[in-house]
Parts: sequence; C-alpha cells; structure tokens
Amino acid sequence: MQSALQELETTYFTLQGQIGMLTAACTTDQQRSDLIAEYVAARSNYWNCVNKAFHDDDPQVVSLTAQLDSANTQLKTLVQQMGNISKVIDGITQAVTVGASLAAKVIS
Amino acid sequence: MVRALSQFVRGAAIPRRRAIVSGVALGCICFANGCTLEDATAASTQLTATASALTNYYSALDTILVETGQLNALQEVMYGIPYDARTKGLIADTKAEIEKREALAKDLANLAQSFAKLTGSTSPADASASASNLQTEVASLKLAKIKMSDDEQNGMNTAVMLVVAAIQEHKEREAARGIGQFTGALHDFFVKEEPAYESINKDYVAVSSSLAKSMLQNGQTDPSGSFKIALDPYGLTPQVSDPKLRSGIEKLAEQEVDEKANSLNDAEIRAGADMDKCLKEMADRIGLVADEKPMKFRLAPITVANVEKWSSQFQTMASSAATAKAPAATTPSSKSPANSN
Repeated sequence: MQSALQELETTYFTLQGQIGMLTAACTTDQQRSDLIAEYVAARSNYWNCVNKAFHDDDPQVVSLTAQLDSANTQLKTLVQQMGNISKVIDGITQAVTVGASLAAKVIS
Repeated sequence: MVRALSQFVRGAAIPRRRAIVSGVALGCICFANGCTLEDATAASTQLTATASALTNYYSALDTILVETGQLNALQEVMYGIPYDARTKGLIADTKAEIEKREALAKDLANLAQSFAKLTGSTSPADASASASNLQTEVASLKLAKIKMSDDEQNGMNTAVMLVVAAIQEHKEREAARGIGQFTGALHDFFVKEEPAYESINKDYVAVSSSLAKSMLQNGQTDPSGSFKIALDPYGLTPQVSDPKLRSGIEKLAEQEVDEKANSLNDAEIRAGADMDKCLKEMADRIGLVADEKPMKFRLAPITVANVEKWSSQFQTMASSAATAKAPAATTPSSKSPANSN
C-alpha cells in the first residue's frame, strides 16, 4: 500500500491517462456528465492534498488509504479492460468517493 | 577563520582579485586555527551556488504549476472537463507556497553574500536585513508547520533566530554556526517535501502527455516534422499526404511521447535527489568551517550543476511561452507566427 497522497494520485492519474478513451466510450450524455464530474472530483481530491500532510497514525486515515488502495486496483483493471462503461463509471465513482473521504482527513 | 568565511562570502560577489587580496592576511588566522583560506572559500562558494540552485529548482516548479493550469484549461477545450474554481484555487495555493520557498532560497543567497559585511567597518545593516527577511520567510511557511515534527519545525526557526541575534551582536562565528544549522534544517524540510514536488511534476507530465497523445490519436497534429531529420540535409520539405504514412508516424510519435514523459519524470526525480545532496553537503561544509575544522573538498558539488541543468529547461519554456503570448497581447490584429512567415 502506498501513502495517502500516492493513492489519491493513483486514482487521478489512472483517469487522467485514459480520459480520451473513457470519454469516447460513453454512449449517453448522462454517462459523459457523470464521468466528467468524477474526474473533476478526483483532480480536486488530489490537489487538496498535495504539499499537505495526514496524521499517518490516525486509524481512519490508515483504513481509508487501504480502502482506496483496493478501489484503485479494481479501477485499473476496469479501465484496462474497458468493458461496460456503466460498470467502469461505477468503479470510478467508488474510488473517487473513498478518495473524497480520505482527502477530508488532510491537515489544513 | 569566521572572518575569512565572511570575507570570502563577499568574495564570491566581488571581483576575485579583491577577494584574494583581502584573504591573504585572514588566511594566516585561518591556518593558525586549523582550517585554510580555501576551506572558507569553498564553503562560501557552495553556500551561494546551492542557494541559487534551490531558487531555480523552486522557480522551475513554479513554472510547472503555471503550465499545469494552462493544460487544465486545454482539457476543458479538448474533453469538456471544466477547470473548476476549486481546483484553480488549490493550484494557486500550492503555487503561492512554492513561491514562498523560492523567496526563502533567494534570501539565503542574499544572506550568504551580505554576511561578509559583518566584518567590515560599516554597520551590519545588510546582513541583518537579509537574516530578518529569512526569518519572515520561515514564519510564512504555513504548510511546513503541518508537514514537520515540532523539533524539525523549531529547528529552522531557532537557527534563523540565532543568525539574527548573532548578526545584531556582531558574533560572526555564532552567525556562521547558525547558518550551518539553518541549512541542515532546510535540508530536512526539503527531504520531507520532496515527494510533493515529485508529484507536482508527475501531474504536469501526465496531463501534457495525455493531451499530446489525444491530439495524435485524433489526427490533430502535423507529423511532417518527423521527416525533417531525413529531408533537411537535402533541402527538401516534408509534405505527408499518405494516410498510412501519417498513421505510422503518429504511432511512432505516441511512443516518443511516452518515452519523453518517462524521461521528464526521471529527470525531476534526479534533480530532487541532487538538490537533497547539495543541501546536505552545504550544511556539512558550513558546519566544518564554523567549527574551524579542515574541509576536504574545494569545488562546489557537481550535483548543483545537475539541478541547474534540469531547472534551466523550464526557464526556457517560461520565456518561450511569454514570447509566444507577447505579440497577441500587444498587437491583436497581427498575424500568428505561422502565418507571418
């Protein structure tokens, strides 16, 4: 498992690297809108935590980081396989939601 | 010896001959105390060179953040992804923090240069002002307080306060020791933040390479330039019209984008590691000189040059971007560079 920032980075960069393919795979305006909203949220989660710190010994931070690690693994698989785009967007939403909870724990 | 250090800090900023003449008498003091004139020269040179490299390192990160904002705006055009106010604000905050670090590095360079004035007959106003500026910059690093442990956080503050007090009391040796301690704390600070610097660069590379590849995949680039290497020696101009050839060169260009992206990431990681080494070595050398111990090395570490090499590419990029924008800003009706040829 990586650090909290690295996990947020992984979510955002995974989407970033495939954004062209992901947007092209959307078949409805709603899918496209959902995808873009998740991308913006992932980017915001990431920038919210760059150059800031987490309480590494906080059990919630540890747990959320582990959850995001797992969600990122699934996300990478989904994006690589690029099957049903609705399932891909569900996987993205799951990772980004966990990411938002983790980003909320950053020390500000 | 500390006077020798002071003189030679000044010597780095004034003609070398004057520094050598000033140092002859001081060298006697230096030798008597176990260190040499060259020790002091090397320490002061490295202090100035390292602070300058650190300034340029942060300046490069600053440019990267500016360009990241521009890339996000391009994504809005390319994919319809809004460059939202929240992300803009977060990037602006990060940029402001990087600028504080750049200002701190500049103040350290100024302190190194003005420190020499302590030993002169005039008042130590410049050195004191530089030290006070450094103290202000340290106090403004709000994120550092979060990132560092209490001991580390206090280390930099304590050291700079020592420098300020020592300068005000004309205690040059104490001031030199304070600068050494400050540099050590600055090294710790840099090491703590280095993963964030690396990440900022990775984001820039990820967004730019992704946009470049999308442009290639959508046939929105002119691949003709790739053939220039073959045609230039014969005075020929490429004009790619065959779709198969175009497709082939676009695939090759995608590979090159990936390779270049990897090399950009590797180069930043190396620059960060080299900057780390520079700061560590600087802290050690200043510490040796302050303690009047002999120093082995005479030249500034080669890692300073590596950092400067990496950061210089962003200085070029920043000036190119400014040049490209200038005509449009000043003469809206003028032709684009492409059309004007």
